Amino acid sequence: MAMILEKLPGLTKGLPGGELLLTTSDYFIDLGRRQSMWPMTFGLACCAIEMMASYASRLDFDRMGVIPRASPRQADVMIVAGTVCKKMADPILEIYHQMPEPRFVISMGSCANCGGPYYDSYSVLKGVDRIVPVDVYIAGCPPRPEALQYAVVKLQEKIAKMSLKKGLATVQQEKGSRDINA
Amino acid sequence: MTNDEMFAKIQARFPKLEKAAGQVKDYLTVRLAAKEDLLPLAKWLKESSFDMLETVTATDQLGPVDMKGYIRQMNFNPFLPEGATPQIVSAPTAAYPYRPVMDLLYVFFSVSEKARVFVHLEIARDGVSVPSLTPLFKSADWQERETFDLLGIRFEGHPNLIKILTPDFIQGHPLRKDYVHVKDRFDE
Repeated sequence: MAMILEKLPGLTKGLPGGELLLTTSDYFIDLGRRQSMWPMTFGLACCAIEMMASYASRLDFDRMGVIPRASPRQADVMIVAGTVCKKMADPILEIYHQMPEPRFVISMGSCANCGGPYYDSYSVLKGVDRIVPVDVYIAGCPPRPEALQYAVVKLQEKIAKMSLKKGLATVQQEKGSRDINA
Repeated sequence: MTNDEMFAKIQARFPKLEKAAGQVKDYLTVRLAAKEDLLPLAKWLKESSFDMLETVTATDQLGPVDMKGYIRQMNFNPFLPEGATPQIVSAPTAAYPYRPVMDLLYVFFSVSEKARVFVHLEIARDGVSVPSLTPLFKSADWQERETFDLLGIRFEGHPNLIKILTPDFIQGHPLRKDYVHVKDRFDE
């Protein structure tokens, strides 16, 4: 599957003698997806402070095209920043199902990865991957903002490999994440 | 008004009241002998300028338990080597020895006097209820619900004594020392 784009002056002028560029639609769709990953705005615990720091001007998440959205319907990525309590598990699942496909999840910090220091607690979910499929895990308690930005870079690499071919794989398998319903 | 003056004033009305062994910071800390005195004391404190109930909380004074929920030896020191003589218990620890009671704590605040009174009340761990302070102080409502939710203390006369913090599927009262977690749908 391929498509022809008429206006690509920036790319085609540099090519010797070329004003036409042929590529796959997968490449362009993945390019658009990975350069504009909009995360859902929510934080659960202290990791959210580091997440806010990476949105702020010193570390500037905008340069990667990461702009927080206030609605799950406009969001592509869910950054689970903080401890997931069992009481909060159902709202997180609801937010996840409100996000349009394809959706990605970054699990930030030890608590969201596996329960962290609250592993023996009666009220803490032992890892957000028990309720939603996770694409990238970040270690740390809390991880530095640079680590979160590195996770976004890794997710961009993952999105670059995605393909639009249908009927071959589920959405989760296409992303390479674990399908928890399978 | 100093603590001693305040204590003399309260004791003139409630002679059975005594000073608690562990004083909380610089505040007057008293211990109630029986739960029947709680409601009259709260009513009297409210009338004599202590018109704000800051805190209702409780502590399970039963000693530590192991992971299976079995109660360990009283005043057990896990860091003591085998055969060594136990070290001297420090004064703040000696004021609160492990014992099978629920230690309720009420904090009354006087806005005009800028003074606080800490009232301790010890009750048995099981099968005993305490009179609710909701008819006198509206602030007691949620705090008594929290104490009920986490420690399982029943407050008589509370209009709506239901869970406030833990989700519905959590069974038991998690801050009790003998609490054993029952697996729920989020535990595999």
